[in-house]
Amino acid sequence: MAAAASTRQSMEDSPQQLAWAAGALLLGGLPHLLAVAPWIPLLLLGCGLWRIGAARRGWPLPALWIRIPLAVLGFLAVAISYRSISGIQAGSALLLVMGAMKLLETRGQRDRMVLIFISLFLLFAAFLREQAIGMLAWLVAGTLGISAALLQTARQESLLPMAGALRLAARLLVQALPLAAVLFILFPRLPGPFWSLPDKASSGISGLSEEIRPGDISALGLSDAIAFRARFRDGTPPAGALYWRGPVLEHFDGRGWSVRRPPASTPPAAVETDGVQYSYELVLEPQGGRWLLALETPLQWSAPRAGLGPAMELLNTEPIHDRFSYRARSAIGGSVRSAIGAEGLAANLQLPAGRNPRTLELATRLRAAATDDRDYLQRLLQLFHEQPFRYSLKPPLLGAQPVDEFLFDTRSGFCEHYASALAVLARAAGIPARVVAGYQGGEHNPIGDYWIIRQAHAHAWVEAWVDGAWRRIDPTAAVAPERIERGIGEILAGAPGGMRLWRSSRVVGGVVLSWDAVNAAWDRWVLAFGPEAQERLLLGLGFRMPRPLQLALLAGAAASLCLVLLAWLGGRRRQGARDRLRQRYDGLCRRLAAATGRPRRPGETPSAYASVVAGLRPDLAAETLALTTLYLQLRYGGSGDTRDTAAFSRRLRRFRPARAPAARGRR
Amino acid sequence: MAFAVLLVTMLAGAMNYNNNLGFALGFVLAGLGIAGIYHAHGILDGLQLHCLGAEPVFAGELLRVRFLLRDEAGVDRRELFLDWPGTAPVAAGPAALASRCVELPLATQRRGWQALPALRLQTRAPLGLVRAWSWVHIDSRQLVYPRPAPAGSVQPPAAAAASSTGRRPQSRDGDSFAGLRPYRPGDTPRRIVWRRYLRGTGLVVGEDHDSETQAPPCFDWDAMAGHSDARAARLARLVIDAAAAGVHWRLRLPGSELGSAGGQRHLHHCLARLAVAGLPADEA
Repeated sequence: MAAAASTRQSMEDSPQQLAWAAGALLLGGLPHLLAVAPWIPLLLLGCGLWRIGAARRGWPLPALWIRIPLAVLGFLAVAISYRSISGIQAGSALLLVMGAMKLLETRGQRDRMVLIFISLFLLFAAFLREQAIGMLAWLVAGTLGISAALLQTARQESLLPMAGALRLAARLLVQALPLAAVLFILFPRLPGPFWSLPDKASSGISGLSEEIRPGDISALGLSDAIAFRARFRDGTPPAGALYWRGPVLEHFDGRGWSVRRPPASTPPAAVETDGVQYSYELVLEPQGGRWLLALETPLQWSAPRAGLGPAMELLNTEPIHDRFSYRARSAIGGSVRSAIGAEGLAANLQLPAGRNPRTLELATRLRAAATDDRDYLQRLLQLFHEQPFRYSLKPPLLGAQPVDEFLFDTRSGFCEHYASALAVLARAAGIPARVVAGYQGGEHNPIGDYWIIRQAHAHAWVEAWVDGAWRRIDPTAAVAPERIERGIGEILAGAPGGMRLWRSSRVVGGVVLSWDAVNAAWDRWVLAFGPEAQERLLLGLGFRMPRPLQLALLAGAAASLCLVLLAWLGGRRRQGARDRLRQRYDGLCRRLAAATGRPRRPGETPSAYASVVAGLRPDLAAETLALTTLYLQLRYGGSGDTRDTAAFSRRLRRFRPARAPAARGRR
Repeated sequence: MAFAVLLVTMLAGAMNYNNNLGFALGFVLAGLGIAGIYHAHGILDGLQLHCLGAEPVFAGELLRVRFLLRDEAGVDRRELFLDWPGTAPVAAGPAALASRCVELPLATQRRGWQALPALRLQTRAPLGLVRAWSWVHIDSRQLVYPRPAPAGSVQPPAAAAASSTGRRPQSRDGDSFAGLRPYRPGDTPRRIVWRRYLRGTGLVVGEDHDSETQAPPCFDWDAMAGHSDARAARLARLVIDAAAAGVHWRLRLPGSELGSAGGQRHLHHCLARLAVAGLPADEA
């Protein structure tokens, strides 16, 4: 009893176990170390060194009266650094500080367990920061390492060697996988969020905005960031026809365009179109807005919480904070009839009084010369085409009358300038018109056969109400047709930007596209799996209207099935292992029987049989006796651990007795 | 328990942020916990446990019960612990395909046959999150000798040899075969009655009158006062002292008598009889 107690005592203070727990903390904390305030990694390092010193050199650990103020100080430091103690940033910082403090008082299994739980939560928090495919590797490595640390921490009697711990952890994780997969797919996904997401909103993923102010931007920042990916299901429209509609800007204040808030009673647009229809699937990156990008005229969509706004924009009820996938069907081109109502038409004719007088004068003049609205719009496009207008990503800033200055003085701008000017000109001539912000074109990835639409593909164009239907008019196409036909990449080719030049190389481009295809698949199949995708999947499997409760039952049933399977497999495996040694010995007997012609009789003890064999074949005697003795030791001696068994197996494999000369002669 | 709280928190967070990797981590950990339960069960499952018994001890001492545990299923069971209720668990599990012998102390209160209490096998391995346990009822009982009375508290009756003979029932003395008893190892050949041996009755030892006068002390149950435990304690002290002094003694118990002999073997024989003497039949 005393011996047992002393063993446990020594295990409690085992430095290896402490090292495992500290390693787990490091593994969980690693993704955060660069993201948190710099004093936190330093604190962690300091506490770690102190603890190592305590374990190796016998330094004293801080007493309680030091530890408590230290913990309060750490807490306050986090609160001051982040001005908050909740949210991903401050939360992970706080967890790291707690882990560091815990390290200083870690003495027994309980403390190590706390460290490991902190590590697991840090690992979880890392995924809140980042969910790229690379994090999958982190998920695997992290769970493996931390599980191994948990295994070691839980041991009271003997530690496993490192490889053994990792192997056992891997085995447990593999056994956990089926259940995890079932739960991942079937666990009822409730649409969040339940509480605020302060970090996400503030770290703001730039996307489309609700207003454009062409004169206020002197250089268009073109980001390579991906806005969304789209895959056409049957037939792809030409690149020049890929107009992905986002927010529709109907309100003009003389300088910029913004989204109009229509009266609440405005019914959603009822749409009728003669355009060509296409089906596609879209994985939208988080953007913080409510728009679901869709090709020109959306007819159907698979997002249950989305609807068509009065300006035919597809709007979700909630802002999109996560990757979001949906299917849609749209019509491209043609005229789009939709009941807009007198209020809507009036709103699309609104111009602020007294702004841009030269433009209004130009509109009146041109309209008088034109035969009808259609002809007038045509003449406007001709004007852009023939006059020396220039497409530029770095236009000069515009003054108080921005449209006037752009049309008559600078004549240099990008899509927003042209769209704004055209819409003003149309409105001035009594044609309802609005600016549509969205994306145009995309980069085709032949590897996954889908389109990558980046922030750089952002575009703005005009929709005008002609002959009782909306028509798309893109003035940029009149000025810089290559922007529309061949994509923005062509225009940018000359512009500085190492990334784009770099990508123009064939090999590198291929690698980049392959990597993007992997990412796209990851986003589409894993990250975009949410309540909607789950519902779609279950409907596809033939379940009608799966409700959370039914889903929970289904998940429970499937999970139970997994458990039964696990138990059954475990039982079989053990059954197998139980007689492995015996099987090996039987193999030895078969070989000896073949070599001597005298099989082992039922009930004959191994030693007796070995001496019979030794009598028959003195040349085999030594090895047979040695192997038999080894077998008996392993089976009954109780000395052996697995290494002895492995050694026995190896020696057994090498033992290949030749047949007796007589037997060979007979053949 | 803390683990469950951790998981629920994680899943709530994952749901709030609609974070699929967070879900994945939570579910993998849940699966890990479940797999851990199976592994914990596996550490108990298929274990061979043999009770090897214990050396007899005096009441009040610790009975050291030995167990042999063997694994033939290739499962590392080193994190298996054994205990009786109320005692500290003792690591007892063998490594994969190995055996291990452990001693489990068990407190004894009184003399007699002591049944082993239910034995608990338990483990927290592999994850330390759940404890798997099993009760084993061992059909085995161990003999506990009476606790001897304090040394010097009992006067040996050796000086009163005559009185002891005097108290003997005369009928026994008068019996023609009273002076003879079957041979026991340790009897000197000098005493063997060879005539009887030639008559085919086996080895018989004679207790002649010469030896009767210098007879070894007879420790008599009935000569002791007090209740049966007290008598057993005093007799135990007497036989222990006699064995230590290297003399022969006789022990007379209700319904039986252990003849004159000495040495450790005789001592244990006597103590074993004293352990159950005077106890009700179901305890004896």
